[in-house]
Amino acid sequence: MAVKDKLKTDLFPTIWCPGCGIGLIMQQLASVMDELDLNKMNTVLVTGIGCTGRMGAYMNFESVYTLHGRTLPIAEAIKTVRPELNVIVVAGDGDTASIGGNHLLHSIRRNPNITVLCNNNEIYGLTGGQAGPTTPQGTTTISSPAGAAYSPINLQGLVNTNPDAYYAKTTVYHQGAMRKAIKEAIQWPGFAFIDVASQCIENNGRRIGYSSAYEMLQGYKADYKPAPKGATRLEKNQIGIIKKEAEPAVGPAGSSQNNGDGQH
Amino acid sequence: MTKRLVQGNEAVLLGAIKAGASYFCGYPISPSSEILAQASRYAANHPEFRFLQAEDEIASANAILGASLAGAKSFTATSGPGFSLMQEAIGYGHKIGIPAVIVNVMRVGPATGMPTMPGQGDLNQTRYGSTGDYTSIVFYPSTVAECHEYTIHAFNAAEESQSPVIILSDAYLGHLNEVVDLDEINVPVVPRTMEPLASGSTRLFSGVATYPDGEPATADSDEFIRQYIESRDCRLKVAEKYAFHEYGWNKDSDTLVVVYGITRRIVQPLSPHFALFRPIRIWPTLDKELAEVAERYKKIIVIEGSDGQYANVIERMLLRRVERVPLLGGRMSLEAVYEGLDRIGLLPKELAAAGGPGSKAGSSGSKAGSPARVG
Repeated sequence: MAVKDKLKTDLFPTIWCPGCGIGLIMQQLASVMDELDLNKMNTVLVTGIGCTGRMGAYMNFESVYTLHGRTLPIAEAIKTVRPELNVIVVAGDGDTASIGGNHLLHSIRRNPNITVLCNNNEIYGLTGGQAGPTTPQGTTTISSPAGAAYSPINLQGLVNTNPDAYYAKTTVYHQGAMRKAIKEAIQWPGFAFIDVASQCIENNGRRIGYSSAYEMLQGYKADYKPAPKGATRLEKNQIGIIKKEAEPAVGPAGSSQNNGDGQH
Repeated sequence: MTKRLVQGNEAVLLGAIKAGASYFCGYPISPSSEILAQASRYAANHPEFRFLQAEDEIASANAILGASLAGAKSFTATSGPGFSLMQEAIGYGHKIGIPAVIVNVMRVGPATGMPTMPGQGDLNQTRYGSTGDYTSIVFYPSTVAECHEYTIHAFNAAEESQSPVIILSDAYLGHLNEVVDLDEINVPVVPRTMEPLASGSTRLFSGVATYPDGEPATADSDEFIRQYIESRDCRLKVAEKYAFHEYGWNKDSDTLVVVYGITRRIVQPLSPHFALFRPIRIWPTLDKELAEVAERYKKIIVIEGSDGQYANVIERMLLRRVERVPLLGGRMSLEAVYEGLDRIGLLPKELAAAGGPGSKAGSSGSKAGSPARVG
């Protein structure tokens, strides 16, 4: 098998804008899937709405293109009914952290054995560039002309409310780190969340002063640094992985959906 | 093989299990919560039956769709406010074509309303609650035994139509205990009709308008219309097999009453005076069946627990005026029925003498009727 067999290349070119970061995530995901022998018989993709949600259409897997914000309840239910499957969620930051925020809280609590890849471009790109839950405070967007009013949501903090959950922060520039995180997250026996900083040049980057996607990638290179070894918490603009070193607890049959109170 | 007291909500749950359901996801809400609680108890002793009490009804509705795609017959149970939260997911299920069953045990709305009082005000919501055009199949039983039976039919119809099918109940029916032998209620079960996820295909289950290969069809009206008509016609055809209704009582009367669900039980004392038509399949409407019956009667009265939701539908369907007896605010009682009939001048004299609003035995000061009084 080869990486390209994971992709529906006959549907290329994709709908994504030239310079979009999503393709860099899809390419690395496909490559890891190839290495781990994830295929259409053992893996299901669940995607959200927004630019990122289209990824499922371009991959050679069964793919559930959910309503906006509803990836997690669907992914958890699939994992519950078919614990033998790898269930991989791919969704944007608005989908995951805003409209799907309540599900995120509770999926973290229930710790299902699923992987969440969050394409975090800090903007609502498909709808034209409105501020989102991850937009840095003060950023001028088409819905925040005086600068985004609030500080962004703390995804790391949310995920880490469950010590058994896996959290990684990376960027699309740091391909090696992203590859490692995707691989570990898929193999993690519980809830694994990868927060990937990714450029949206057309509906965010140019408005905040970048002239090209290349410049945005150079920005990630300049701004993001690996966290020191042994860090238990990532600081702003650090990439790294926060996970329990011992084998984490996970619900029976790889899922938590088996008892009356949703806990394990 | 034994008769015992069974509650309406329990009969629904046991019907789902008999239909082969193996996944329940829900959120507590009166008056449906017994279904959730009993599903959790059943799951505790049957590991093949999966249960989740979710964070909200949005998650519940989406989870049952995910479970169904994965291969399980799945269902949820809720009441008006929760049902409102499920509407987007119901539309998603219709768009993709996912079998599932949603039980709505109705209370008085809108909003939080009267959580433990019976209502029938969600009929339009079961038909038009989600955005866009779609074809709902909805059943509304009237007895505990029927709660069991029509839940099985609902799962069958969901499989055949590949769409979310709705069972309506209400606060009275859901909490009504009746002596029944559930083992004697047997409906042939339709097996799963959909290839489960990860069976070798690479399908895209998309709520977005797409071509069969997954490419966006978001600006192709012809393709949209083609897909819409295909799914509508399929569901209408399936619904024909489930044209459940009851026609009876005094067929020589010149007046036909149309009632459904628990109201059918409440109006039983009207039986000597009127003919009865009871739709059990609420949607799609029983156009042919009702039109055939209605032409034999001078007057039609719709008695229902809403301000004319189904009366409006029937009026338009038959293109003739129908009389209305709305039972509002949870006042779903025989007294309220008599008062309503009296108000429109259609209360039979014998009933007025026997305890209608014109008599001393009338009940103008009574509290909302209890099901024990419905005969």
